Amino acid sequence: MLRYFSPGVWFVVTTAIVASLLVVLLPVEPRPGIIFWLFDRNHAKLSRLIAEEWEEQHPDLPVQVTLMGAAISSRMMTGFYSDTPVGDLIEVERSLIGQVFSGPLEDVGFVDLTERLHAEGIYDQINAPSFSPWTNRGHIFGLPHDVHPVMMMYRVDLVEAAGIDVSQIETWDDYFRIMRPLMQDLDGDGRVDRYLLNAAPTSLQFHEVLMLQAGGGYFDPDGNPTLNSAINIRTLCHLATWYAGPARVTSEIPTSGSGPQLIADGYCVGFLAPDWYAGSIRNSLPTMAGKFKLMPLPAWEKGGRRTSVYGGTMLGITKASQNFEAAWAYAKQLYLSPDTARRLYEVARIITPIKSNWSQPCYDEPDPYFCNQAIGREYIKLAPDVPLRPSSPFYGNAQQALNIAMIDLSRYAEDHAVSDPDALIAESQRLLERAQEQVLAQMQRNVFLKAEMP
Amino acid sequence: MSSTHPSFSWGRVLIYGFLTVFALITIIPFVWMICAALKTQADFFTSRFLPAGDGLFGIAWDRLSLHQFGRLFTELPVARALLNSVFFASVMSLGATLFSAAGGYALSKFQFRGREFITTFTIGTVVLPAALLLGPGFETLYHLGLVDHYSGVILPGLAPAFGLYLFRQAMINSLPNDIIESARIDGCGEFRIFFQIVLPIMRPMISAYLIIVFIGIWNNFITPQIVLQSPELHPLSVAIFNLKGLYNDDLSLIMAGTLVSIAPVMILFLLLQKEFISGLTSGAVKG
Amino acid sequence: MRPARQNSAWVPWCLLAPFMAIFLTFTAWPLIRSMVLAFEQSFGPKTTAFVGTLNFRFMMQDPLFWTAVGNTLIFTLCALLVQIPTALGLALLLNRPDLKGKRLYRLAFFSPSIVGLAFVAILFSLMLEKRTGLINSSLHAMFSSWDPDFPWLQNYVMTSLVGATLWLSAGFYMIYFLAALQNVPPELLEAANIDGASSWQRFRHITLPEIRPVLNLITLLVVTGSFQFFELPFLLYNETGGNGPENRALTAVTYLYQTGFRNGDLGYASAIGWVLTLILVGFALVQRQISRRKES
Repeated sequence: MLRYFSPGVWFVVTTAIVASLLVVLLPVEPRPGIIFWLFDRNHAKLSRLIAEEWEEQHPDLPVQVTLMGAAISSRMMTGFYSDTPVGDLIEVERSLIGQVFSGPLEDVGFVDLTERLHAEGIYDQINAPSFSPWTNRGHIFGLPHDVHPVMMMYRVDLVEAAGIDVSQIETWDDYFRIMRPLMQDLDGDGRVDRYLLNAAPTSLQFHEVLMLQAGGGYFDPDGNPTLNSAINIRTLCHLATWYAGPARVTSEIPTSGSGPQLIADGYCVGFLAPDWYAGSIRNSLPTMAGKFKLMPLPAWEKGGRRTSVYGGTMLGITKASQNFEAAWAYAKQLYLSPDTARRLYEVARIITPIKSNWSQPCYDEPDPYFCNQAIGREYIKLAPDVPLRPSSPFYGNAQQALNIAMIDLSRYAEDHAVSDPDALIAESQRLLERAQEQVLAQMQRNVFLKAEMP
Repeated sequence: MSSTHPSFSWGRVLIYGFLTVFALITIIPFVWMICAALKTQADFFTSRFLPAGDGLFGIAWDRLSLHQFGRLFTELPVARALLNSVFFASVMSLGATLFSAAGGYALSKFQFRGREFITTFTIGTVVLPAALLLGPGFETLYHLGLVDHYSGVILPGLAPAFGLYLFRQAMINSLPNDIIESARIDGCGEFRIFFQIVLPIMRPMISAYLIIVFIGIWNNFITPQIVLQSPELHPLSVAIFNLKGLYNDDLSLIMAGTLVSIAPVMILFLLLQKEFISGLTSGAVKG
Repeated sequence: MRPARQNSAWVPWCLLAPFMAIFLTFTAWPLIRSMVLAFEQSFGPKTTAFVGTLNFRFMMQDPLFWTAVGNTLIFTLCALLVQIPTALGLALLLNRPDLKGKRLYRLAFFSPSIVGLAFVAILFSLMLEKRTGLINSSLHAMFSSWDPDFPWLQNYVMTSLVGATLWLSAGFYMIYFLAALQNVPPELLEAANIDGASSWQRFRHITLPEIRPVLNLITLLVVTGSFQFFELPFLLYNETGGNGPENRALTAVTYLYQTGFRNGDLGYASAIGWVLTLILVGFALVQRQISRRKES
């Protein structure tokens, strides 16, 4: 019998038997307690600390803090669609929340928290703009984690060495004009290497930051797309001349891989920095201490808004959870406590959305990394000005459509060597009309949302 | 080439040159991967292959370490993923081979009503792209309650139309009818004939197909990605992909993980090259 | 003595049963279901709604769909133009009877095919990085004028994808060509040599026609494989969900995956699947017609 088949076959047969035995003997055990899915390492660290405290008071219902990678969105969505296991608590990022809302309202996988928030008085404690991305069709589906106001993080060492006075900067035009001398060729190849702002036609997240600052955006609070609004048209014209053409002043630094090295080497002067980015740079580039400072964003017009918003996370409780009350209690403990606010700031420089916690002394402490600025207080000062950013199931479509328009407009500026934003208005309008139509076409296709659309 | 030509000629140098250059281009990524897996994070950016130092050949051998591999198996669930990969690949390759061989035998050596219809219907699906069945296949698994279970991946893979085609073809070509007939005349039961006569004769085809399917399942990404949600069930292809998402900046860790995922099938392939290659080309080229 | 005929009736059915049970459940039924799903819209497998021809009408003016199909066609064309000559060329080089180390070369060229697509993607995502990636740093070391920040993955999407696929599959197809070349009757080549034909003439008039069937097969394999190109762009450009910069890495199957499994619309995904299938079947038929006509 043994010689009937080649040794290869017998090898596979043995492996199959051994592997099957192991699989049977080492089964996948569901872990007890509340399962908490997150995607951010810093959040995970913090959550574990609070989970330990929780476990002391609730030993029978521990919180399993599970750090998921890029797979969190697909697992969450598959869980909602196909009843596969999902966590009881899930932190969802701003760019992914739209998918959750793309079906019928009853199919949204998170529990509607609106009434609870009002009944327990929590709604009033929180910075109002922070709720906007997590609200859909009038219902709030999560606790906001943050405010994420955006400031300009700039290389103070380069600026001071060149004798530049940043207090003169009020608008974006001022910024690029005053910082101009810093645009230099660093490696002697005849091309400018150092640019003034970390952005590019393809950095779609930054387009939104700047659009929101200007008063534009993708959707209005009723869920209608506003891609072709007059403000957006004008904003994109300015961006195109920053990104391309003879008046180019920006370049994108990648977030991973060689990015940190490029930052250290001084390839960019200014960065659009929400609080988490400042914290992230502080943690990942210790050698750059004392080289960065923060200032409010240059406004689009004199007296205009000097901040924007970038990113955002919420904590939602899934309908599939069997432990709603416990999960809700833990969520409140994690998000509302002054202790958490303090730790969040100390570890990641993120300011809490809970207004009553803003009086914590930690926000006023000078930060040696940022030349002894009390960056927490600086960010908090901007918190009430943070623009609203409504979510939509079609956020992804809008983002894509706008990105294409932005890239095309930048290419147009490059090809026609345009440096005056006004010269691009017609083209910008054409491209944004097209983007708007694309999004509308997608919206009208969705039969589940059609019934509920205005 | 005529024997009056000298064995050295520029033409031959050129040929060997080309081949060697191409071979090096092909192999270098592997070498790089191995070096990357052994380097520490700091050295990763400073040296291309191995870090320079005072050791033999000017290489700092002492700065290489297996610590990333240790991390893979202790901190991270790569051991489980490895078990899952081995489990899927071995069980599914055996099952697919057995079922295809049985089906191919039935379709090639028996006359029965509906034979032509079944042959055309099953083997005809070979031309269909797998992508067509992704969506409805998932829906079917959901309704059967097999999503996020091992069987959700294993069961659909046990009836590959291509396997049926290969075995039917191979049996038509190399399984003589008289052997089967004489066995029947001797009073052999049909299933004894199958297991003790047919399968051993088809030994080369079985080995070849087994390996092909084994490697194919080992490397398969899209099916486990769609069907399996719990990370404890993920095979290496999905697990390493998740690893990259989580540890995007720890490049040597990712390379170590990739190495662990590639090594088993590479070894298997090296041991069984001939069968693998003959199985691939059978049916495509005569002889 | 047991009459052999009596058992025969149910034996083949028994042998076929395991295969057919699986096949009917997991291939035949989904195939039929996909024909219905193409006319529905869904939010996951739980919630479906009938929408008639809306999926197809939308597809016609869906810019993402056309981008995906366009990219897929361009990729297929590039793959054909690059992979087949390389594979054939390598096979011709290796086919010389007096070549030493043939087994080693064959092993070297074939080994990338064993690496799974997922792992090739991870490997290349690191190799093509600016500055630290193997490709940029090696080129910069060899030619100092080479820009070490050369943006392979950002600006040269198609090149990167075609290059990675070439590395992966040249050896695979080479094996087929080698087997075909070895079946070319040497007497024909000898006769042509005696008649004074040059190498190129021998290749064109004898070798090429002899390997035509395998050439057709490889062409079919390359086309079907390229049309279903998914893992590589999906993993290389995973941060953008497989789209790549300006959607230049979006292929048809990636779009199908996004639609079906990220947005949950299995109906639209099935519709895309069918369009893809029809294109592929059409190509296979056209190829058969052309090869038939050439033979006659």
